[in-house]
Amino acid sequence: MASITLSGIGKSYGKVDILKQLDLSIADGEFISFLGPSGCGKSTLLYCISGLEDINTGTIAFDGQDMTELSPRERNIALVFQDYALYPHMAVRDNIAFPLRQQKVTPDLIRRQVDWAAETLGLEALLDRLPNELSGGQRQRVAVGRAIVRNPAALLMDEPLSNLDASLRVRMRSEIRRLQRELKMTVIFVTHDQEEALVLSDRIAVMKDGVIQQVASPMTVYKEPANQFVASFIGSPQMNFLPSALAGRNDNGGTIIGIRPHDLSPAAAGRADGISLTGELAFVESAGPIHFLEVMVGDHMVKGACADPSGLTPGAQLTLTADPRSACFFDAQSGNRIKPQ
Amino acid sequence: MVFAGHKLTTALDTSVTIRRKTRRVPAFSYGAVAPALLIVFLVAGLPLLYSLYLSFNTTNPITKRWVFVGLGNYAKLLDNAEFWGALGRTAYFAVISVAGTTILGTIIALVLNERFPGRGLLRSAVLVPWAMAPVAIGVLWSFVFAGSFGLLNGLLNDLGLSFLTAAWLGDGFRALNLVALTHVWNQAPLTALMILSGLQSMPGNLHKAAILDGAGPIRRFFSITLPWLKSSYLFIAIIATINALMTFDILLIMTRGGPGTATTVLSWLGYLQSFSFLRFGEGAAILYVLTLASLALAIIYFFIFRQRRSAEHMMDGATPSEMAWHAKRAQRNAMVTLPAYRPHSLLPARVTRVLAPALFALVAIVIFLWSVLPVLALILMSLSPAADLIRTPATVIPTTLTFDNFISVLAAEGHTTSAQAKRVPLSLMNSFIVGAIVSVINVALGTLAGYAFARHAKERFFAGSLWALMLTRMIPGLTLVLPFFITFKTLGLLDTRMALVISYSSFLLPLSAWMMKATFESVPISLDRAALVDGCSRFAMLIKVLLPVVRPGVIAAAIFCFLVSWNEFLFALILTSTPKAQTIPVVISGFLNQAQFYEYGPLFAASVLSIIPPVVVAFFFQRYLVQGALSGAVKG
Ligand SMILES: Nc1ncnc2c1ncn2[C@@H]1O[C@H](COP(=O)(O)OP(=O)(O)OP(=O)(O)O)[C@@H](O)[C@H]1O
Ligand SMILES: [Mg+2]
Repeated sequence: MASITLSGIGKSYGKVDILKQLDLSIADGEFISFLGPSGCGKSTLLYCISGLEDINTGTIAFDGQDMTELSPRERNIALVFQDYALYPHMAVRDNIAFPLRQQKVTPDLIRRQVDWAAETLGLEALLDRLPNELSGGQRQRVAVGRAIVRNPAALLMDEPLSNLDASLRVRMRSEIRRLQRELKMTVIFVTHDQEEALVLSDRIAVMKDGVIQQVASPMTVYKEPANQFVASFIGSPQMNFLPSALAGRNDNGGTIIGIRPHDLSPAAAGRADGISLTGELAFVESAGPIHFLEVMVGDHMVKGACADPSGLTPGAQLTLTADPRSACFFDAQSGNRIKPQ
Repeated sequence: MVFAGHKLTTALDTSVTIRRKTRRVPAFSYGAVAPALLIVFLVAGLPLLYSLYLSFNTTNPITKRWVFVGLGNYAKLLDNAEFWGALGRTAYFAVISVAGTTILGTIIALVLNERFPGRGLLRSAVLVPWAMAPVAIGVLWSFVFAGSFGLLNGLLNDLGLSFLTAAWLGDGFRALNLVALTHVWNQAPLTALMILSGLQSMPGNLHKAAILDGAGPIRRFFSITLPWLKSSYLFIAIIATINALMTFDILLIMTRGGPGTATTVLSWLGYLQSFSFLRFGEGAAILYVLTLASLALAIIYFFIFRQRRSAEHMMDGATPSEMAWHAKRAQRNAMVTLPAYRPHSLLPARVTRVLAPALFALVAIVIFLWSVLPVLALILMSLSPAADLIRTPATVIPTTLTFDNFISVLAAEGHTTSAQAKRVPLSLMNSFIVGAIVSVINVALGTLAGYAFARHAKERFFAGSLWALMLTRMIPGLTLVLPFFITFKTLGLLDTRMALVISYSSFLLPLSAWMMKATFESVPISLDRAALVDGCSRFAMLIKVLLPVVRPGVIAAAIFCFLVSWNEFLFALILTSTPKAQTIPVVISGFLNQAQFYEYGPLFAASVLSIIPPVVVAFFFQRYLVQGALSGAVKG
């Protein structure tokens, strides 16, 4: 396994710039997730790192060694494709063995390594099946198996769980994490699913339009988003953004205040410390143990949360309060977060 | 009536316990396939049976008496050296053609599968040799290879390589190979199209995955691409073999079985027996051997591919020793320390990055020239003064360019215009009328049938009749033309456009039904259901709802039927004899019979006129042509 350093990566298809001046260092053995809206260039970045696509500017280095000009096979990167890309005419065993055969590993070693991978991933019973005789989750494990057998410099995964159903996804999630810990792999994991990223990663990189917005630990990304985009992209339901005047601060409309719905709750009678917002309760949305309250404050719809909505009637006035320490402040112009003094 | 009503009520009463048998296929669907099946039976099935019957008889050409001889004609074939010779040449020709078209087609398809500027142009250009009439191809290539005035010799002279010139078709074995080469030139695009469609259905990530797994381009071709294409190759092999076995048009134009018997393959031998020696029974027997050979080959190919597939499965499975090895191991598997992997490329990445595109461009250009140069040569010759074409020593450089040749075939009053040239305008019209009529009839009936086939492909009746339609593809036209000739003679239909319309339907109706089936399969069945729920009758559903949706498919079928009819030669040659019904390929071949040197100019002009519709289609309606080619039941 290797550390990966990307500096000044630029990639364009024709005239369209897909990746713009992208810098990032990934430590050896780190699990980093890329999170971003569809079309922001996540897959493209993986293709560039693995050498499937040439980059227009910048350099890619593994363990400090420049790889920019090398072909994919010389980079020794494994990639789990979103659609798995299993070779349809090869049995599971041959699919997993394929990269080893290319390296001219002896048949005996290949057999042992394939058996190891099969055992690690619980594929022993499936080794002689063809890919189209497997379920989605099994295919995914074969794809991972093919990627890990050859001790790659890094393992890249492109939304590998997106085709699975919810419960299988959760299971595979923990298996991937366990495997990564066990093998001390450097993993770059692309996903649409922020929960996945929050659970799995050492660090999360949030991307938008080919630019990395923030790279930080899951907690930091959630609590201290670098800007309004990151704040809105992470966390569900979305963070409330309000002109600071609404929350009783006077700074000529230069800042925007962001409060997560989970941090906004109905005020206990008489208490009004911290940030308080009052308006007409429009709607109560039940999400299992938690209930979301939509309150019309001025001309902004604000979302709060509470555990027990009894006694709250739509149409009535309601005050929501939040601890000021949980709120984020953003520069209205740039959208960047203003660090609290 | 009362009785029936009574029955009905009792039926209703017991319906609680008796499961009613539901009819899954609506009568409408049977009605839809009925006309097509009936016509195919009449114009393909019956003639086939009739020619089988003929093959059991022998006729005395003078007394015109039929004598039943049972298997006598076949028995005679067995100790006929001529037959065995022809069979051997047929096999040789087929092997060369199939190998040639497959290899060349694969290369063309691999090139066309890449994105590069000019791909659309190249794809059109590549299609031209396949779209043009075999007769025009024969004319073109026989002049390329001609001895004294030939283009190839002319080119060699011009290049100062006169010592290499030869009478190319004069040597027997060489002639056979050159005819095979011409056939490959004509057929490779079809193979390329079929492979290309297989390539394009391949998930793009497969190759990316293999690149990352360390496989180079050649390894990937053999490990990823070829296995993916395996089932396509089965189909391609069948089609290519059958097309090779049935090669007739270019033979008739280029060598007429000669020199000697060097290019006498079975189809030519059958033609000779039937139409030169008028030994219909013996001819029919030879052609039946050909038919059975195509059928047998189709079946053999099918089984070979199936067996290889299952054998592969067994090898993939755990071998006994491997299982014993598993049993011995009790301890847990551990990750293996792999030997250090030092990947190396033969050439530095920087060099391949320049070299690979250059190599690719070279291959693309060669393919382009291979497809287009001969056609350009034909056009050049049609614009050359007649005297240029018979110069010795031959040269390819024209003294001047002129439209005289075109004027002499199109403006019939011209003083120098010969009788044959005068036939050209009329034959173009005949070709056009016949093409238009057969397209309309066959596409209409094919659409009806295609709908029912698409919707009930799993029902035994439909699956069975679909296979029967496919099998018509295995019948050499020569087998059918003899019964047609005899029948039309009796009915007084010889030398009419009607005769052509009827006989063309024998292969165009299965073709259009097959094409339309593929088209309808791409339309979701929920559309049918929505229309029915919205109150349409089944017929209204087909006409008002489905037809607009499948219009591109209908156009494709029509264009394709038109082209096949426009290019058809054999039936037209046998069934017509005067300008009243002769089509353009027949008139072109007529020029050759006259063998007058001064006629070369008009001959080439007529040939160029005959390739206009195919070329226009290849360049402007390409996707329809491709759709036709891929729908399977393609007529060579
Ligand atoms: N071969 C290509 N040619 C031109 N543009 C491309 C090509 N491949 C991708 N793009 C464009 O590059 C942008 C980024 O694509 P990419 O596949 O990297 O997005 P992504 O972040 O992986 O999206 P998703 O989450 O939907 O997979 C998209 O706007 C896409 O249209
Ligand atoms: Mg993607």
